[in-house]
Amino acid sequence: MIWLVALHFVVGLTVVALGDRGDRRTLAVGAVAPAAVLIWLATELGSVLDGSVIDESIGWAPGLGLSIDLRLDAFAASMVLLVSGLGVLVLLYGLSYFPRQRSGLSRLVGLLVCFSGSMLGVVLADNLLLLATFWELTAITSFLLIGNEHTQQAARAAAFQAILTTGLGGLAMLGGFILIGTAAGTYRLSEILADPPSGSTVTAGVFLALVGAATKSAQYPFHSWLPGAMVAPTPVSAYLHSATMVKAGVYLVARLALPFGDTPGWRPTVVTIGCITMVVGGLRALRQNDLKLLLAFGTVSQLGFMFVLFGSATVATVQAGCLLLLAHGFFKAALFMGVGVVDHQAGTRDLARLPALGRQWRPLGAMLAVAAASMAGVPLVLGFVAKEAAYESLLHQESVFGRVALCAVVLGSVVTFAYSARFVVGTFVAPARRGAGSLSVELAPRGGFLAPIAVVSFATMLFGLVPALLNRLVGVATGVLGAGHLGESTSAHLAMWHGFGAALVLTLATYALGAAVHRWSATAVKAFARAAELPDGTDVYRSILRSMNRLADVVTGTVQNGSLPVYAGVVLLAAAALPSVALWTGDDLPALPPFSDGVAQVALAALVIGAAIAAASVRRRFAAALFLGTVGYGMAGLFVVRGAPDLALTQTAIETLTTVLFVLVLRRLPDRFERTTAIAGRPARLAIALGVGAMVFVFALVAASERVGPPVSDEMTARALDDGGGRNVVNVILVDFRGFDTVGEITVLAAAAIGAVALARAGRQPGDAVGDPVGGAVGQSGPVHIVRRVFNIDQSVSVIFYVMNVASLYLLFAGHNQPGGGFVGGLVAGASVALRYVAGGIDEVRRISPLKPWTILGSGVMIAAGCALTPVLFGHPVLDNGAWSMDVPIIGYVKVSSALVFDLGVYFVVIGLVLMVVEAFGERFAVARSTVPVDGIEEASA
Amino acid sequence: MTALLALPILLPLVGAGCSMIVGRSRAAQRAVSLTVLTAVVGVAVTLLVAVDRDGPVAVQAGGWAVPMGITLVADRLSALMLAVASVMLLAVLVYAIGQPGAERNHVGFQSVYLVLSAGVAGAFLTGDLFNLFVSFEMMLAASYVLITLGARRDQVRAGMTYVVISLIASTLFVTALAFVYSATGTVNLAHLSERMDELSPGLNTAFSVLLLVVFGIKAGLFPLFFWLPDSYPTAPSAVTAVFAGLLTKVGVYAIIRSQSLLFPPESRPSGLILVMAGATMAVGVLGAIAQDDVKRILSFHIVSHVGFMVMGLGFFTVAGLGGAVFYIVHHIIVMTTLFLTGGLVEHVGGSSRLSRLGGLVGKSPVVSLVFLVSGLSLAGLPPFSGFVAKLGLLQAGASASHHTIVAVALVVSLLTLFSMMKIWSAVFWGTPRSEPEVRTAAPPLMLAPTLLLAAASIVVSVAAGPLAGLSERAAQGLLDRSAYVSAVLR
Repeated sequence: MIWLVALHFVVGLTVVALGDRGDRRTLAVGAVAPAAVLIWLATELGSVLDGSVIDESIGWAPGLGLSIDLRLDAFAASMVLLVSGLGVLVLLYGLSYFPRQRSGLSRLVGLLVCFSGSMLGVVLADNLLLLATFWELTAITSFLLIGNEHTQQAARAAAFQAILTTGLGGLAMLGGFILIGTAAGTYRLSEILADPPSGSTVTAGVFLALVGAATKSAQYPFHSWLPGAMVAPTPVSAYLHSATMVKAGVYLVARLALPFGDTPGWRPTVVTIGCITMVVGGLRALRQNDLKLLLAFGTVSQLGFMFVLFGSATVATVQAGCLLLLAHGFFKAALFMGVGVVDHQAGTRDLARLPALGRQWRPLGAMLAVAAASMAGVPLVLGFVAKEAAYESLLHQESVFGRVALCAVVLGSVVTFAYSARFVVGTFVAPARRGAGSLSVELAPRGGFLAPIAVVSFATMLFGLVPALLNRLVGVATGVLGAGHLGESTSAHLAMWHGFGAALVLTLATYALGAAVHRWSATAVKAFARAAELPDGTDVYRSILRSMNRLADVVTGTVQNGSLPVYAGVVLLAAAALPSVALWTGDDLPALPPFSDGVAQVALAALVIGAAIAAASVRRRFAAALFLGTVGYGMAGLFVVRGAPDLALTQTAIETLTTVLFVLVLRRLPDRFERTTAIAGRPARLAIALGVGAMVFVFALVAASERVGPPVSDEMTARALDDGGGRNVVNVILVDFRGFDTVGEITVLAAAAIGAVALARAGRQPGDAVGDPVGGAVGQSGPVHIVRRVFNIDQSVSVIFYVMNVASLYLLFAGHNQPGGGFVGGLVAGASVALRYVAGGIDEVRRISPLKPWTILGSGVMIAAGCALTPVLFGHPVLDNGAWSMDVPIIGYVKVSSALVFDLGVYFVVIGLVLMVVEAFGERFAVARSTVPVDGIEEASA
Repeated sequence: MTALLALPILLPLVGAGCSMIVGRSRAAQRAVSLTVLTAVVGVAVTLLVAVDRDGPVAVQAGGWAVPMGITLVADRLSALMLAVASVMLLAVLVYAIGQPGAERNHVGFQSVYLVLSAGVAGAFLTGDLFNLFVSFEMMLAASYVLITLGARRDQVRAGMTYVVISLIASTLFVTALAFVYSATGTVNLAHLSERMDELSPGLNTAFSVLLLVVFGIKAGLFPLFFWLPDSYPTAPSAVTAVFAGLLTKVGVYAIIRSQSLLFPPESRPSGLILVMAGATMAVGVLGAIAQDDVKRILSFHIVSHVGFMVMGLGFFTVAGLGGAVFYIVHHIIVMTTLFLTGGLVEHVGGSSRLSRLGGLVGKSPVVSLVFLVSGLSLAGLPPFSGFVAKLGLLQAGASASHHTIVAVALVVSLLTLFSMMKIWSAVFWGTPRSEPEVRTAAPPLMLAPTLLLAAASIVVSVAAGPLAGLSERAAQGLLDRSAYVSAVLR
C-alpha cells in the first residue's frame, strides 16, 4: 500500500522533471500508477468485502504521533475505486484532450499523478496527522494545477483563492486533530473512532475538523473557490474538482459522523450546512450558461446533499450517502469529460452559443443522457437508487429537524432535476431547435475520446439496473464507518424498485416540480434567485482579503515607522518597565549604601555627571566628543580613587586615543548636529531616560543587597601570584584567568578596524558611496593640508615617538607584574603613531611602519588565537599556560611564558587598529596634486 | 572530546587573522575560509554525535577550575545548534563567493565572516555569561561591518539603526551582567544556576525579565524587533541570509539557555514569554503582508517565526522546548534558503520587488522549485519540515492547555501561507518582465548551496523522527539541569 502511494510521487515527479521534453505520451505513463492501484484493489477486494481490513505502518516521527499508518477497509475501498479508477480514465481521456505537445503539459500530467497519490493517501490514512499531510498535499497539487496556465490573471486568482480557502480549513482541521489526538492519547484514526474521546476540547476539535471538511468540500459559505477553479483544463476539473478532491471533506465527515454523532451540536450543524449548500448551489447551477460552471455549482449542491446524508448519521442515511458518493463520482466524471469533448471540438461550452451537434454526436449524447439522468435521479440509473435511499432514510427521521432536512433535500433535488434537464436539452436539443449552425462532421469526437466516458456511463447504468451488486460494499462500508455501534444491522438491501410509499410520492413530486422549473426556468430562476440572495462567497473572500491587507498596513505603519529614536525609545522603555514590574512585586527596597567614600569621589562623580549631560545637550560635535572624553577621564579618576591604577591607566590611554580618532572622523562631518526631533518629543525622551536610570539604580541596590556568595574576584586576587604567576591581578585576569574573553575582545577590535576602513574607503569613492557632500557644508575644505613643517617640532616628535615606543614595550613586558600589559602597551604605541600622524600626515605614518596595517592586525589575532589553540594540540585545556626558560648566551636566563606571547597578540592588534584607522581617515599632508574631494559621512541616524 | 570544544571558536579566529595577512590574494583567503569552516562542520558534527551519546562535555579554559576561568560546554542543544549553524555558514560562504558583489569587492569580507562564525560558535559553546557577552560582541562587531558592506546610502542608514539598537542591547547586557555578578559573585552559568536559587523570587524574576529583554532585542521579540526588518534587507543577500538564519536564532538560543538554566521554575516569566511570543508572531506576519519587496517580506517572517520558537519555551515543558529546538533547526535552514533564493531571484529577475517581477517559473524552474518547497515549509504545510516543527509546538500547546496561543499560531500559519503564495504568484507565475540588461542564468556557485540547504530541509522532514527524538532529549537536558551543571562543576 505504502509503495503504491509512493509510486505515484515517483512517477509524477519524474514526469514533472521531464519539463518540455515530455509530450502527450506521459499521460499513458502516468496512468500506470493508478492502474497498479486498481489491480491491487482487485486482489484485495474479496477479503475487504468480507469485512477484514488491511493495515500497513511505517514510523515517521513517532514521538509526535506522526507515522505512516495506512488501512484499507470497505469505505476506503470505495473511495480508492473512485480515485484510482477515475484517475486512469481521466489520464487516458487526456490523450485525446491535450495536443501532442504543449508547454507545461508534462508539469500538469505529473501533478495530476501526484494528486492521485495524495488523494489515495487521504482515503487510506489511518493516522489523523498523516491524513492532514495528504490533505494538504492535495491542496498544493490542486493549487498548482489550477494555476498551471499562470500567465492568465484569472487562473492565478482562482488558484490563490483555492489554496487560501482550503488552507484555512486545513489549518483549522489540523488544530482540531491535535485537540482530538491529545484527548485520545493517540492519532491512530481507527483507535480514536473505535473509542471516541469526549469533552469540551474534543467538541472544539470536531468542529474545527468540520471547518476543514466544509472548505474542502466547498460547503456554504466556503464554496466559492470551487467554481473559480473551473479555469483549469477539463481533465483537472473532472478529476479534482468534481469527482475526488472535493469529496475529501465528505469522506472526513463520513468517518467522524457516526462515532462523534453525539457531540453536542454536531448533527444539526452538519445537516444545516449541507441543506443550505445543496439548495443554494443548485440555484446557482440553474443560472449558469457556462456548462462547466453549471456542473461546478451542481457539484457544490451534491456535496451539500452528501453532508446532509452523512451528517444525519443513521445507518440508512449513511448507506444512502455511500451510494450517492459513488453515483456522483461516476456521473459527474462522465458529464465533465463530456463537456470537455464538446468544448474541445466545438470551441465553446456556452449554452447560448453552442452549435447544433449532428448525428455523429449521438453516442456522446446517449452517454451524457445516462449521466444526467443519474444526476437528476431518474430510474434505471445509479443516481435514482441513491436518491430513493436518501428519501427513504430521511423519511424515517421523525424529528422536526429530520423533516426540515427532508424538505431541503427535496427542494434541492427539484432544482437538481431542473438543471440536469437544462444541461441535456441545452446541449443536444436547444441549439438545433434555435437554428444554430451545425458543427462540421469531421469535428465529431472519435472513439478514444469517448471510451472513458462510456466506461463511467456504463457503470452508472449497470449499478442502476442491478443495485444489488453494491449490497456488500455499501453494507460493509456502513459497518466500518461505525454504524455497528448503533446496534442495527448494516447489511444493505438495495433495489431499484422500493414499492409504493411516501418516497415514491416525493420522487414523483420532484420530477413534476423539476420539470416545471425547467419549463419556466427563466422566471423561476429569477424568483428563486431573489428568494435565496445570499452574499456571494467570492465577494466575502475579497472583502476579507481587503480588510486583512488594511489591518496589516495599519499595524505595520504604526509599529514600523522607520524612526530610530522611536525604536530605541521602545526598547529602552521595555527594558526599564518590564524588570521594574518584577522588582516592585518584591519586598521593600533595601537601605541606601553610604553616600560617598570621600570628597574626591563626590567631585569626580559630579564631573562625570555634568560632562555626560553636557555631551547630550551641546550642539557642536567636537564639543560633544570632548565632553565624552571628560566622562572617560572622570571614570579613570574614580578608578584611581577606588585603588585600581591599572584600570585607570587603561581608561586614560583609551580616552586619549579615542579623542584623537574622533577628531580624525569629525573633520569630515558637519560642525553641528542636525536638530532632528521636535521639541514635543523631548519630555518623552527625558522620561524614558529617567526611567532607565531609576531601574538601573534600584536594580543595582537590590542586587547588591542580596549577595549570596563570595565574588570570584576574591579568589582571583588570592591566586593571581601563586597560580597565575603575576603580581598584576588585572593582567593575570586578562591574559590568563579570563584570557578567552580577551581573545574575543581583540577580535572585536580587529573587526571594528576593518569596518572603519571599509566605510571610509567607500566614503571616498564618488558615485554610489555614502557621503555625498551634505548641503555643501562638509568636504569643501579640501583634502590637502599645507602644513609648514617646523624642524624643531619634527625632531621633538621623533624623540617622543621613540620614548613612547620604549615605554609601550616596557608596559607590554612588565605588565604581568607591574601596572601595564599588552593592551595598555598597544594603546601607548598607538598614541605615538597618532602623534606621528599629527606631525607628518599619512605618509609619515606609512614610512615608520615596517609592515602593512592589515598584516599587523592579522598577526595579532593569529598570535592570540594561536596561543589559545596551541595547548589543545598537545592535549592540554585551551589557553593552558606554559613557560619556557632557557639560557641564552650573553643575555643569560630568559623566561618566556605563553601569557606574554598572548599579550603580544593583544599588543599587535591594538597597534594594527590605530594604524588602520589612521590609514582610513587620515589625510595626506602637503601634497598639492591630490584633488580628490574628501567627503563627509552623513550622520545616518534619523 | 573536550579538545574539540574550543576549535569551532579558535579555528575561525586563526583563520581570520590569516585572512587579514594574505589579504592581497583572494584565492588564498577563500581557501583559508573554506578549509576552516569545513573543519568546523566536521568538529561540530563529531561533537553532536558524542554529546548525544555521552551527555554534556565541558572544558575549563586555561585549566582554571570553576568559577575562576571560563567554561566551554556543549550539551545536546548547543551541539545541535552549532552543527546546523556551521553547515549553514559554510553553504552561505560558497554562495557569497559565487555571487558578484559583496565578497569580491571587499578585502575584509572573509576575515569578518570568520569572526562572525567564531562569535556564533562562542555563543553556543560558552558556559559563562560574560563570555557570552564577548561572543555576542564578536558576532555583532562582525555584523556591523557586514551589514554596511558596499556602504550605499541606504545601507549606512539601515546599518545605523542596527548598530545603535545593538549597542543599546549590549549596554543593557553589560548592566545586567553587573547586577548578576553583584548579587551572586559569579558569571559561570552552571555556578549561577546554583546561586540564583538562593536569591529572592522577586529578584530572580527581575533578572529573568531583564535578560529576556536583552536577548529579546537580538532575537527580534515584540516589542523589541522594530529595527530588524528595517536593517536586514539592505545588506547583500548572502549577508542577509546569515543574519536571517543565524543571528536571531543565537538570540533565541540565549533566551532558551538563560531562562531554562539560570532560574528556578517558579521564577520563570512564562506568561510574559507567551504574550510576547504571540504578539511577535502576529505583528510580524502582518508586517510581512504589508510589504512589496521579497527581502522585506522575508525579514518580517523571521520575526514572526521567532514567536513560534519562543512560544515553545514559554510552555516550559519537554514537548514545548523540544518543539522549539526542532523549530530552530528547521527555521535556520529554511529561512536561509529563502533568503538565498531571494538573492537568486534578484539575480535572475533583476529586482526584489514583487511589482517588478514575474514569470520566473519558466525562466528558472530550479529556483522556483526551491522557493516553493521552502516557502511551503515556512508556512508549515505538510509534508515539509515546517509542518513537523509546527506540529510539535502545537501539540505541546494543546497538552499544556494554552489554547489561545495555539489558535494564534494557526492563524499566523495561514497568513504565512498567504504571504508565501503572494510571492509565488507575483514572482514565479505570470508574464516575465524581462529587462534587457538582466542576467538570466544563476551562477552555479550560488545555486549549489541553495539547493544543498533546500535538500537539508527535506532531510529534516524525512528524518523528523530521529531529529524530534534528539530535540526531545535536548529539551530534557534543559529542564533537568543536573547533567549540564555536573558536567561543568563535576
